[in-house]
Amino acid sequence: MSGASVAPGGNPIRKYPVHFYSYFKEFTGCPEATVELVAGATIQDLLVEVNRHFPRMAGLQDSLLIAVGVEYQGRNYQLQPGDEVSLFPPVQGG
Amino acid sequence: MRPDGYADFPITRPNSLKRELIISPEPIDEAGLVARRTLSSGMGAVVYFAGVVRGTEGTTSIQAIDYECFDRMARHQFDLLFDEIEKRWPIESVRLTHRLGVVKVGEASLWLEIIAPHRGEALAACEWLINEMKRVVPIWKRPVP
Repeated sequence: MSGASVAPGGNPIRKYPVHFYSYFKEFTGCPEATVELVAGATIQDLLVEVNRHFPRMAGLQDSLLIAVGVEYQGRNYQLQPGDEVSLFPPVQGG
Repeated sequence: MRPDGYADFPITRPNSLKRELIISPEPIDEAGLVARRTLSSGMGAVVYFAGVVRGTEGTTSIQAIDYECFDRMARHQFDLLFDEIEKRWPIESVRLTHRLGVVKVGEASLWLEIIAPHRGEALAACEWLINEMKRVVPIWKRPVP
């Protein structure tokens, strides 16, 4: 999760904070990370990077909820500058 | 009256839903919550529900449940659910308290009160809100052996 500020094609690289909740913190070993992606990337692109860096997360794709800011988003959501992504398992309040 | 001409008391929309949301590690003061209840003369149903930590999780005995929350998103999602309740039922008031951190067996982790003109809408809104909370509000629990 590192790299230059401009991709080889000339597109800018953007950094997105990613927060992990519940047992995802144990699977990643940290509560948050920063993912660098080419401008125009989607949540799906971000998940590929997360899974590459944290292989244990790759097995959780069917029980993964995604939020950008405080709203749920799907994998096709195109990331915007300033977005913060949260990844967490199904919720269990009450 | 303040010097700027505005009245010095809270202004509320007529007939709008009264909302109270508490997300806190403090023990839930059920008696205090009941004592603070207010309702108008048109209301005929007060439904309240307390979710209490059970001593078993599946077939395993536990001592407590440790609750974790994504606070900012949880508050936003609860607001959306309260908005939806206001659209669906003629509810006067909703008050919800969710405790975080370690909650021992027998203690309340959730307290919810709905006030409505009739029991049908109060019970329906209470059931709906709990179900939706468990679907969208980012709170997680971890059993403590």
